[in-house]
Amino acid sequence: MGRLRQKGNAGAAKAYVTRSIAIKKLQCSLADFRRLCILKGIFPREPKSRKRANKGSSAPTSFYYAKDIAYLAHEPVLKKLREHKAFAKKLSRALGRGEWSSAKSLEENKPVYKLDHIIKERYPTFIDALRDIDDALCMIFLFASLPSNPRIPPSLVENCSRLAAEWQLYIMRSHSLRKAFLSIKGVYYQAEVMDQTITWLVPYQFTQNIPVDVDVRVMLTFLELYQTLLGFVFFKLYTDVGLVYPPPLDAKRDESAAGVGAYLLQEASQKSDKPAVTKVKVVEVEGRQVSGRDVYKTIKNIASSSPNADDMDVDAPTIENNFGETEEEFIVQPSKSDAEMASSLPTLQSLKALPQSINTSLFAPYTFWLSRETSRPIFEFLVRSFGGKIGWPASSGGGSPLDESDDSITHVIIDRPVIEQPSETDEQRELRLKRRYVQPQWVVDSINAGKILLEAPYAQGQSLPPHLSPFGEYEGAYDPAELANEELAADEDESEIEGEDVEIEDADIENEALQAVATAATEDSATLRAAELAAEAAGIDPSTFEKEVAKSRRKSKKSSSNGVDEAETDMNKMMMSNKQKKLYEKVKHSQDKRNLERSKLEEKKKNLHKQKRKLGQTS
Amino acid sequence: MTIQARSSKKRKQHGQDEASDTFNEAVNLEMLSDEEDKEDVESDNGEVDEFPEIDAGSEESGEEDETYKSEEDTGASGEGSSSGSQEQLHIFPEVKTIVSDITGQEKRVYPEIEPDYDSDSSTEDTPNRVGDIPMHWYDDLPHVGYDMDGKRVLKPARGDELDRFLKTVEDPNSWTSAFDKKAQADKPLTAEELDIIRRLYANENPDADYDPYEPLTEWFTGPGKEEIMPLTAAPEPKRRWIPSKWEHKKVMKIVRAIRQGRILPNRTKNTSQPPFYAIWGDSSSSNAPPLPAPKPTLPTNSESYNPPEEYLPTEEDKKQWEETDPEDREHDYLPQKYSALRLVPGYERFIKDRFNRQLDLYMAPRVQRVKLNIDPNSLIPKLPSPSSLKPFPTYKSLKVVHTHIARCISVSPDGAWVVSGDEGGVVRLWEVNVGREVKKWKFDGKIGSIEWCPRTDVSYFVVGTDDMLHFLIPPNLPASILQLTQSILAPSTLPPAPETPSPVKWSTPSSNTWTDETAVLTIHLPPSSGLPTQITWHRRGDYLASVSIGGSQGAVWIHQVSRRHSQAPFKKVRGKVQMVLFHPMKPCFFVATQQYVRMYNLSEQKLLKTLQPGIKWISSMDVHPSGDHLIVGGYDRKLCWFDLELSDKPYKVLRYHTRAIRSLHFHPTYPLFASSSDDGAIQIFHSRVYNDLMTDPLIVPLKILRGHEITKGLGVLQVKWCSRHPWLVSGGADGAVNVWCS
Repeated sequence: MGRLRQKGNAGAAKAYVTRSIAIKKLQCSLADFRRLCILKGIFPREPKSRKRANKGSSAPTSFYYAKDIAYLAHEPVLKKLREHKAFAKKLSRALGRGEWSSAKSLEENKPVYKLDHIIKERYPTFIDALRDIDDALCMIFLFASLPSNPRIPPSLVENCSRLAAEWQLYIMRSHSLRKAFLSIKGVYYQAEVMDQTITWLVPYQFTQNIPVDVDVRVMLTFLELYQTLLGFVFFKLYTDVGLVYPPPLDAKRDESAAGVGAYLLQEASQKSDKPAVTKVKVVEVEGRQVSGRDVYKTIKNIASSSPNADDMDVDAPTIENNFGETEEEFIVQPSKSDAEMASSLPTLQSLKALPQSINTSLFAPYTFWLSRETSRPIFEFLVRSFGGKIGWPASSGGGSPLDESDDSITHVIIDRPVIEQPSETDEQRELRLKRRYVQPQWVVDSINAGKILLEAPYAQGQSLPPHLSPFGEYEGAYDPAELANEELAADEDESEIEGEDVEIEDADIENEALQAVATAATEDSATLRAAELAAEAAGIDPSTFEKEVAKSRRKSKKSSSNGVDEAETDMNKMMMSNKQKKLYEKVKHSQDKRNLERSKLEEKKKNLHKQKRKLGQTS
Repeated sequence: MTIQARSSKKRKQHGQDEASDTFNEAVNLEMLSDEEDKEDVESDNGEVDEFPEIDAGSEESGEEDETYKSEEDTGASGEGSSSGSQEQLHIFPEVKTIVSDITGQEKRVYPEIEPDYDSDSSTEDTPNRVGDIPMHWYDDLPHVGYDMDGKRVLKPARGDELDRFLKTVEDPNSWTSAFDKKAQADKPLTAEELDIIRRLYANENPDADYDPYEPLTEWFTGPGKEEIMPLTAAPEPKRRWIPSKWEHKKVMKIVRAIRQGRILPNRTKNTSQPPFYAIWGDSSSSNAPPLPAPKPTLPTNSESYNPPEEYLPTEEDKKQWEETDPEDREHDYLPQKYSALRLVPGYERFIKDRFNRQLDLYMAPRVQRVKLNIDPNSLIPKLPSPSSLKPFPTYKSLKVVHTHIARCISVSPDGAWVVSGDEGGVVRLWEVNVGREVKKWKFDGKIGSIEWCPRTDVSYFVVGTDDMLHFLIPPNLPASILQLTQSILAPSTLPPAPETPSPVKWSTPSSNTWTDETAVLTIHLPPSSGLPTQITWHRRGDYLASVSIGGSQGAVWIHQVSRRHSQAPFKKVRGKVQMVLFHPMKPCFFVATQQYVRMYNLSEQKLLKTLQPGIKWISSMDVHPSGDHLIVGGYDRKLCWFDLELSDKPYKVLRYHTRAIRSLHFHPTYPLFASSSDDGAIQIFHSRVYNDLMTDPLIVPLKILRGHEITKGLGVLQVKWCSRHPWLVSGGADGAVNVWCS
């Protein structure tokens, strides 16, 4: 006989604890527990059997791993939270007694916790951290746009906007933006940093109001963690490319609402050499520093094709000195035993030679001017990320490197209807004709397409083509572009045939018999030939006959596939096991749902198309 | 009216009498008191007198009043007093300070008291001496107290309301008089009393004499009044003049800390951002990172600010979206289309969305799921196409109609004839190919079962009715067969009767009464054994087993035709027997109870195995002609295929009928079996069994035959195969017996 096993001493009953037990064990308040969970990234688990985990009770509770809670018990932050509780008591006591000086000294020495160790714990490697900054970026960008209130101190908003600007600066500098999408919720950006795809959402520039059913404390706790995380991530990113972190802020530019341009990107080496001088110098040229360098770099890349690139005025310090160094090529020394493996080893050079999926210097040859009504932060970021040069009027903020009358401007991003300008001077007219006026969607669509699209459909005042998501949908989803090309054409054909059918039927009834013959003859080639001959004899146009045959074939195919195969598969379904049957039903259900969605959209599209055609015919 | 008037008059008189009485008495009393007063003038002076009750009626005011009176009196009585004595009211008689002639010192001289009437106010004293008691004690008595001599002081006459009113009108002093309880009469208030009332009304101190701004008399402070001597003789402690050592230590500790720089005075609070450093610089820790949180789904085309038009929701879509709960919505937004980017408004639910995402991150339990990305059609087993497994019945070739439910059918061993019985007691014999009815028998009661004898050299069938089994010989038989049949069923010399008397009786009518209409041989089962629901033959055609619905262990009987002997194989059967079967090869016997199928060896008389189909209620079973496989059908729609060599548990469980399975039958020669159900459908399966033990039997569903009507919830009750052809005969609750041909 084995040892007696007592219930609740092993297995799920020990591995999971409920939330209330966890709080009791940690001896903290629920709010503190939540805060800890947020900071430490601990979340409830779903036990396989809730009953077994909850000692036989099936009451709805959330379970945590007992080990998670045991780790939490040794958390320094928890200790600090307890200290803070004591501090709060002391402070309220001092304030209640009117002991202002002791309250002040208490306040000065209030316990503050640090999250560094948590960052290191949650993200042991840098890639782990980078993989998880999507939510952090969304929050930072949201809070950077929020108005401050008693719950959200202005310093927090300021810090968020600083972090947001730092991220944008890094993306612009490293050219790692890949996709952008203008949605109704905001602008989605997707960047590729160190092979990690990072997607973040930035709200449009409108004042956000915090709804009453949102717990700001929770958001602020998350934000606390995110700020620290992003600080460390940016530090690593900046130092890896040889920049100083944090980038110093130019107060004057910041006051003139320069946005991203208010931060100065400093080379780490420059700083160490002569910090004071460079600072002044950088301040002077900062507006063009980043963009100018980018332009230079991209121009250098395409220098071989364009001979006049040399006369471009370069006002930014060049740092890519090591470009000239010749890199030694890996020479393959094929081993005799395993030749294939050695030859297949990819080298850095071979990888570089591979065609890049996206052209990061897409806008390098162009210079943009932002019209007043377009959002500067969005398009400045987009254009500069893809190597373009951009200027904006003073009403959109300071720090514009260009003037509106600059000759180099090739495109004007404008988002207003065309207005006749009778009092136009010749000069203005000339400028207008020289430039291309495009709507903002053109920029985003060009980025997503990876090439410069034709400007004509996006010209000022044109009704825009639909803006599609660059992120794609699930496999087999409805693709609006595909249907537009193929199905509609087929649809037209079919409807034409239908129209002809009616005509033929009107003309003579003799053909109906022929039609029947054609229908019957589809299966067999010999009979088909006979039928063709008969049709010829009857004096029917061969093209109509062919159409007839095709139509009947389609019909017969449909009916046969529907009839016989369905019945057979239905019969075979009987032989499935119960488990398989359930799985099959589940998969089939989701598939049917998707198909329904797809067919619904297709149907809608066809209807719209028909309506449009009708309108076209009547008008 | 008159009565009232009279009564009032009476009262008046009475009142007057009373008044006169009291008056007299009072007068007497007063006279007496006058005399008495002379002696105790002095004693009365300080006494608290009765005071007419006014609203406040406080003691103090009474005393004051009294003192006023006395002062006034004294003032009036004092001869040598100054004229200002009226204003300067003093408690004591006025004092004169004179220089004594004898001693030469100042001395106080008091005025002499003259003992006459005017010297005291006690002349006005009330005669009532009851003291300060609640006067309502005397309410019911004619007197109000007692005087000095212990005589009663009678109540003064008080008159009625009218008198009092008239008094108030006539007497000008009535409004300044108050009721004196002790005297039980109104007394006019004095000027002093009125003054007090006025002061009280004006919220002033009632004492006219009181000076609120009296100059302060300093008794203990001021020059010359200091205390010179200490209060105690204790010496002064050291702490009064020596500084604290401990304080010094504490202060020095702080001073030292400040000197050493441990305490920074006025340290500026570090409000700047936390310093960032290369946290991932050193070697990364070995422990695996926690699983990253799942990323939110990426936006699709419908979220675009300018989506293709087909994504825009219709009115119904919008309505449906709004009606569903926010948690149940597929998308948390409605697609919208804006013609230009500048027209796109701010998204209202942005913060809410972020918040929900955060709630998901820290409050939602996470489960790791393996995502199945399989083609659902790959789950369907690949089976050979039914068209390659022909022949099998596909269509209904003919139909024979009974008037009642056709519960049982049987096909002759040569496959040319069918007998079918219905619940009306009619048995029809007809031909399979064209359905021509050859013969019809009529029995009393329902027909429970019919089974043709499997022997080919003889031809007869058994019909089970209530408590009886009838052996019938079809007409138009060849003479040789008929003769043999008759000789078997009714031999000229009966076999010897068994030693033990059996409850089952075998009876044969005499040979001259034989007709086509009646049975050649009849077995009488024990009474109340009920309708035999099943008859099954051993393959040799000598034994047959019958199962009846009534009785417990008597339900199963095995009859031997050659010996005309019946026996009950089981003394006791656990559960209700549903069906029995003979094994086609071995001397084995299957018994299906409600939930189990038991397999017995008849020769060794022991249980071989118990099969557990897992069916709640077994309805039917059949054994494969090879004898190694068994199919069992149940009322809970399941069909179990048992490989008898393999296991007690089913090899395969199928559930494809929508209602209870009623009947199963293996084809004797073709690899086919059929099942019928209450859903009115018959399913044909291909069932190939391989001889080697390694290959699993192949079961392929071939065809669903529909054509029976469901009546009273019953569908197809029995199916039987024709032995030589892939043809199926089925009897249904609608009374139809159909033949299905390939």
